[in-house]
Amino acid sequence: MAQTIAQTTTQEAGADSKVAGHFKRNRFAYTAGAFAIAVGAALRIYLDTMGFSVGTDYYSEEFQTYWMPLLYGEIIFMGAFTVILSVYFWMTREMDASKISKELELSRYWKLLGVFTVMGVWAGAIASNAVESDAAWHQVTIRDTDFTPTHIIIFYFALPFLTAMLIPTFIWTHTRLPAYMNKISLPFLAVVVGILMIMPNYGFNEWGHTFFYAEELFAAPIHWGFVFLGWSLFFLVPLAVQLFTNMARLIAETTAEEGDHQSV
Amino acid sequence: MSEVQAITEKEAKARALDIKSLDNPKAMKLYRRFDGILILVLFAFITLGIQIQFTLTAGDWDYWIDWRDRRWWPLVSPFTLLLFIGAFTYGIWTRLRLPIIATAVTTLLCLVSWLSRYLNFYEFTHFPMSFTFPSTYIGLGILLDCTLAMTRSLVVSAMIGGGLFGALVYPLNWSFMAPYKVPVEFNGTLMSVADLMGYEYIRTTTPEYLRIIEESTLRTFGGSVTPLTAVFAGLCGIVIYAIFLYVGSWINGLDKYAKRIV
Repeated sequence: MAQTIAQTTTQEAGADSKVAGHFKRNRFAYTAGAFAIAVGAALRIYLDTMGFSVGTDYYSEEFQTYWMPLLYGEIIFMGAFTVILSVYFWMTREMDASKISKELELSRYWKLLGVFTVMGVWAGAIASNAVESDAAWHQVTIRDTDFTPTHIIIFYFALPFLTAMLIPTFIWTHTRLPAYMNKISLPFLAVVVGILMIMPNYGFNEWGHTFFYAEELFAAPIHWGFVFLGWSLFFLVPLAVQLFTNMARLIAETTAEEGDHQSV
Repeated sequence: MSEVQAITEKEAKARALDIKSLDNPKAMKLYRRFDGILILVLFAFITLGIQIQFTLTAGDWDYWIDWRDRRWWPLVSPFTLLLFIGAFTYGIWTRLRLPIIATAVTTLLCLVSWLSRYLNFYEFTHFPMSFTFPSTYIGLGILLDCTLAMTRSLVVSAMIGGGLFGALVYPLNWSFMAPYKVPVEFNGTLMSVADLMGYEYIRTTTPEYLRIIEESTLRTFGGSVTPLTAVFAGLCGIVIYAIFLYVGSWINGLDKYAKRIV
């Protein structure tokens, strides 16, 4: 077994140094993060341009031309993104955790942090751009549909896309990292489920809004479901503790081995 | 017995390796890189979390200068902030010994609120920034974190820091708000500058404003409404912060793995 691990380690790490790869910048985080910002900026520009010009009357022809196809496209894209990635990660899962070297395991943790970085960029974009755009929109418009332009951006893309990233990441983590294989991380599950449940909560929220057409109290109790589900982010602290407990040990082990090899 | 000893020895060896790695520059560089990513990700999600929570529980009082009244705004704002801060503070303080969460949350909220008000209320729906600028709570966050750092006790920080956080919302923001509280006479009616702005900028929230702000105020109370609210907000601050520290302790106890969900 020890031989197998040593062989795998050498194959994965390259010829020069076992830890050298970990000092390289994570291209995935930079590329996907830039792509996320570009998509967010494009949607924001679309909202600014088309929101008040063709987005205030759900029953108008323009609304059906310029906004509803965007909604359908978002739903199709996110559904396909989540399902395809999730199925792919499950079908290509690791069957034998003992074949995963420490070096490979550590590199996978860096990848996971890269994915979380992209999610963080997306979360920041939602916080600064999306959340209060809906508040501002409902202060100056009459509510005639659930599918308002701001909802099409926030409810049906920005927030669900976090879930669309989290579900495949959850599956990837639990099928690639030995510390998570054959068991379930409770804090990770709580984060995923909490953000996922925001979508069914739209039903409660929009049902409540059928009673009002104009008056907007943003602190209204029908919005508190989102607040409660947002508390799932509290579980990020124990999740971070799990990650740095596992990673710190792997870093200590791999760098110690590196030092040993060099001293020999 | 032997199994217990074996685990202990393994754990002891691993811990020795951890400590040894602190002298290893390569390991330290990786640790620092990890710290940087963790701070970025955690702060980004905290920003999203507090923005959603604050918007949906106290947003109306923060969006508009005329909503910043003397009864509800100094009460709901610290209430909702301390709730969020408490749950995060427990984990970050007990695990990492960092008294930073209150300052981080209030600062991140301030930054994202300014950006959001500009993009959404000014650029998107064309309300003036002087009418929709956010309040500040950073001073309260620093106060709460300093209390924790100096006392090193979550209970004492809840009693002192939580109370001060609740009580000092109004004085901290007074310098920004004072010009809007100047009385003006408009068409024979006495009102504040903030009220006048609110009547000029009719919003869908206007009916709720009329129902909630200064509704059935006991005018005979004179000027003591604000300090009374501050004392009550201090009490609420202590209670809600303590409750959510407990919630944080429960959540941090779930740092576990399960074999199956149900």
